[in-house]
Amino acid sequence: MRNLIIFLRRYFNFFLFLLLEVICIVLVFRNNDFQKTAYLNSANNVSARLYERYNNVEYYFHLKATNDSLVKENARLHNMLQSSFDNASVSDIVKTDTIHQYSTDTSRKVVSSEVRRFLYREAKVINNSVSNPINYITIRRGSTDGIKPDMGVVGPSGVVGVVRSVSDKYAVVLSLLAKGRNFGISARLSYSREMGTVRWYGGEANYAVLEDVPKSVRLIKGDTVVTSGYSALYPAGIPIGYVESYTVADKSSTAYTIRIRLATNFNNLQYVYVIDNVLKEEQKSLEDSTYRLIK
Amino acid sequence: MSILLRNIIRFVLLLLLQVFVLNRIQLHQLVGFNLYMLFVLLLPFNMPRPALMLLGFFMGLSLDSFMNTMGIHAAACVFIAYLRPFIINILSPQGGFETTQKTPSMTSMGVSQFLTYIAILVFLHNLVYFPLEVFNFGNFFYLLLKILLSAAASIFLIVLYELLFFSRK
Repeated sequence: MRNLIIFLRRYFNFFLFLLLEVICIVLVFRNNDFQKTAYLNSANNVSARLYERYNNVEYYFHLKATNDSLVKENARLHNMLQSSFDNASVSDIVKTDTIHQYSTDTSRKVVSSEVRRFLYREAKVINNSVSNPINYITIRRGSTDGIKPDMGVVGPSGVVGVVRSVSDKYAVVLSLLAKGRNFGISARLSYSREMGTVRWYGGEANYAVLEDVPKSVRLIKGDTVVTSGYSALYPAGIPIGYVESYTVADKSSTAYTIRIRLATNFNNLQYVYVIDNVLKEEQKSLEDSTYRLIK
Repeated sequence: MSILLRNIIRFVLLLLLQVFVLNRIQLHQLVGFNLYMLFVLLLPFNMPRPALMLLGFFMGLSLDSFMNTMGIHAAACVFIAYLRPFIINILSPQGGFETTQKTPSMTSMGVSQFLTYIAILVFLHNLVYFPLEVFNFGNFFYLLLKILLSAAASIFLIVLYELLFFSRK
């Protein structure tokens, strides 16, 4: 025991060093999405094979427990289906906020009545960065103004990002300028109507890359890249950028790599609009319950 | 001015300078301007090592909270705070530096010694900082170039800072 204490005292500095570094690394992985995903991906590549072998052996010993958990899972899914029907009734309240369109002749019949889907709230940008691998924008609107995480954010000229976290008076927006494998915006070329994904790979703040557009499409320089409207974040047709140049990464590739000039100038962003999709809950619960049904 | 007060002022000054001036400069994606680690480098010679590390940790964490990069700067800062006494030991002449001046500077260490001291520690700092920030070891050459160029930029800034606040004592 005495020897142990002497040992600890002799190497106290080193242990303190290790302790502080471990705290730092834990902070890095807990709070930074990019590092977390990058680490998890590489970790998976290395250890997946090992886990698979181990799991093959272990699986037989846990059949009973697996069965129990599947029954519980079934019960939980049944409950969720019902609760998703409950959620759907929220749209009845929303439907009171409608636009009626009348025919132009004298009869003034109601041609259509449309339900509000997107609600825009303006917000002042109070902090912004463009030079980091992952850039954040802080805006002066928070949960008291109705801002929630995962709302889309657009600027006067185009897409800006997604709300990441919210406090009472402020919200932090994950900028489109975020280098990460899992952050891309669903996009569409406005001339050829072809779908793709916009990603940013670091470097200059006014250029990004549009991927997954097949080689068969005829591209035009200067064509506008707009949001597809398939994600619940943005309405369709909001500009993301303009086609600057395009290449095919290698001969075997079936898709273009298109360099686009971003519509938003991230260097002098002053005001943005936070888009509240009021039907998102309904859409999401419907989509999720469908996925679960298929699974 | 007492050493304590001087260090507190330096802490605030370097933090503000880093957050509001240096982080806004974009020269090239390979060059990042970091000056905040100078706080750790200029702490007094006779400071005990646990205190050095805790102060480095505190400095790094303060900067991290400004930049949304929890833990990255802190890790690099603690690393150089831990290694600082070794480097000073290696560079110091027989019997240590003259104690007329208690903090490392060009006058107390000599110009070439001081430059070696900051060059080594800035390089070590970047060696921890950029791998954590970039977190992609596939492009090793890019990482190495970024570490070296940013170290050069930091050393340039530190020399400028030293010349600006040069004390003749």
